[in-house]
Amino acid sequence: MRRVFFMIRKEFRQIFRDPPMVAIIFLVPVVQMLILSFAITTEIKHVKLAVADLDNSAVTRGITRAFANTDRFDMNIVTDDPAAIKESMRSWDAQVGIVVLPGFGRDMTRGLAPQIDIVMDGVDGNAASVAMGYAAGILQDYGRENSFPAPRIAVQEPGSADAARIAGSAVFPVTMQERMWYNPDLDSKNYMVPGIVVVLLTILPMMLSGMSLVKEKEIGTLEQLQVTPLGRRELLMGKLTPFLILSFVELAIVTTVAVLAFGITMNGSYADLALSALLYLATTIGLGIFISTITGTQQQAMFVAWFFMMFMILMSGFFIPIENMPPVLQKITHLNPMRYFVAVVRDLFQKGTPLSMLWKDLLPMTLFGVAIFSFGVLKFRKRLS
Amino acid sequence: MSASMKRTVSLARKELLHIVKDPRTLLIVFIMPLVQLVMFGYAFDLEIHLIPAGVVDRDNSTASRSLIESFRGSDLFRLSDLGDTSTDIETSFRSRKARAVIIVPAGFEKDLLRGPGADVQVIIDASDPNSAQLMKNYCGQAIAGFNASRGPGAAMPFDVRTSILYNPDLESAFFFVPGIVAMIMVMICALLTSITVAREKETGTMEQLLVSPVRPREIIAGKVLPYVFLAFLDGSFILVVGMVLFDVPFNGSLLLMVGLSTLYIITALSLGLMISTVARTQQVAIMMALTITMLPTIMLSGLVFPIESMPKVLQYATYIVPARYFLQIIRGILLKGSALVHLWQPALSLLVMTSILLAVSVRRFGMKLER
Repeated sequence: MRRVFFMIRKEFRQIFRDPPMVAIIFLVPVVQMLILSFAITTEIKHVKLAVADLDNSAVTRGITRAFANTDRFDMNIVTDDPAAIKESMRSWDAQVGIVVLPGFGRDMTRGLAPQIDIVMDGVDGNAASVAMGYAAGILQDYGRENSFPAPRIAVQEPGSADAARIAGSAVFPVTMQERMWYNPDLDSKNYMVPGIVVVLLTILPMMLSGMSLVKEKEIGTLEQLQVTPLGRRELLMGKLTPFLILSFVELAIVTTVAVLAFGITMNGSYADLALSALLYLATTIGLGIFISTITGTQQQAMFVAWFFMMFMILMSGFFIPIENMPPVLQKITHLNPMRYFVAVVRDLFQKGTPLSMLWKDLLPMTLFGVAIFSFGVLKFRKRLS
Repeated sequence: MSASMKRTVSLARKELLHIVKDPRTLLIVFIMPLVQLVMFGYAFDLEIHLIPAGVVDRDNSTASRSLIESFRGSDLFRLSDLGDTSTDIETSFRSRKARAVIIVPAGFEKDLLRGPGADVQVIIDASDPNSAQLMKNYCGQAIAGFNASRGPGAAMPFDVRTSILYNPDLESAFFFVPGIVAMIMVMICALLTSITVAREKETGTMEQLLVSPVRPREIIAGKVLPYVFLAFLDGSFILVVGMVLFDVPFNGSLLLMVGLSTLYIITALSLGLMISTVARTQQVAIMMALTITMLPTIMLSGLVFPIESMPKVLQYATYIVPARYFLQIIRGILLKGSALVHLWQPALSLLVMTSILLAVSVRRFGMKLER
């Protein structure tokens, strides 16, 4: 026990002796948190707009104003040449173009349903489809707010039952009243910040434990440690306990920043968060040990860790929602321990779900944790002997 | 060949041997972007299907049932009846059995037939704001469809024609392939170079190099050239795979592409050199390279998240991220067929940035070596 304690003390000394390392452990997560939570916004805003209004009537000016008045579009180019829109897309000065031909306003007041062209830059498919929805919404609202004569379109066949019913009485509409629970303002921060907590709790423990073990291997001090009276179990305990402690310090820092700096409400219990984090750390620290057994240099360890990280983050639902993936990939995400922890932490923060209701995530996560950790330790011990 | 050039070449050959002799790193450098390519290329579907939704029908009339049918009509929702209590909503959200609950109030049919129109309440689990917005749109569509089935409502007074340029099918691969190229180039140039220099320092071989007749300038060139080569190779590899696998087009000029890519690679290399002047150990080099090059390249360049949607402060921060300019360049050339006329702004920014970074880093590196 005393030996383990000395080993732990040695590890901490080694970490704190290296100022850049200290900065990396304590400062970088905070910076990452700040950048990530502002940069990763799934909202689409300030889409650059180019308008070629060849009609220039009251109606078309009204439409242009309706677009310019939202924060969803920024009026960037005003031109009278429709061809210029395509050019401005090529130089990234516009993402959406609107073209209105002469006579639009006149036809509109006559109820002729004139044509309005919307040109989209489809390179960013996600942004394009969202912007398309915005544009349709703005045009619809504009049409509704300014009562224009209804377009004269023959919808019903004369004599049909529907037509008779419509002719007989006015149709009253159904109106939707929506309530957004847990996140009434649809602020993506509330969703992303708990996810970032998980990302940081994945990267740091895995990188640090993996690299520190490989480093001893690379510079040969692992052999020196082996000839000391330290048992293999004590060696591993002494190596890993500091990282467990540091990971919890990390969790505390990151959660504090989330709650105090970002105003994220923690609706669940902190004890639940800590307990589930402990279960999850078995996975990430276990992965770190595993990586150290299959690599020989820090560079390799870093790359393998980066590889695991990429896979885990992409397939966790952190920023690509799992429901948006094709069915095959959705099934693969079940092999990703991070997937469960992302769901647990988000539910804890946002919905305050008690752990007892989250067992469907906690159970596989714990199983993965135990399996990965034991596998890593076994492999490491085999390497040592 | 001058003596100086000979020394540079032999140093470069030594470095190349280092790279080739480490097949694990090499494998990862080529396989990893491939996996990302496939994941990003296939992983995005802009729609959600079969959203689990609960139904509380308090009216239980012909009209309410036909409204619910209009939700069931598409494959967007998977409906389950919650009975007529709404007390279970919280539980069904928490256990994720439902992500939306549709409540039809009592008296729905009466209000609908006699006027003034009826309300239907839709409660959405908005913890993921993006899909909440999507679900709201789907619900709106279902209700609009129901309204339209009962008679002509307020049709649009104009005829909106939408056309999508450059990526008509909104393929996510078109968007991500150039991004992965930009990412892998930074990874090789900034990350690998800073690690290799730090390793020479850590193992003490840098000192040995210094007492040899090689001059600092030659050390830099010899160290850096193999990585330029590797970056080009890997970048082209991804591009070709993207073109074959996902039909990503190449609409612009190859010459322009090669020229501006070189500029970008030099920028990334300068960053790598800069890091290696600060970092004494590989571990520190890796962590620094990840935070000051990889992270901004992924997060602040427009690679995934549009810059225009970020807060103003972060938008200003993106001006010092080289990948921001390179992404405009490579996406412009590949997908839009943009020429230098269109891209002079990002190209000029990149040029200025490269010149400053290169001058500073070479100077610093040389100074560190001479000491």
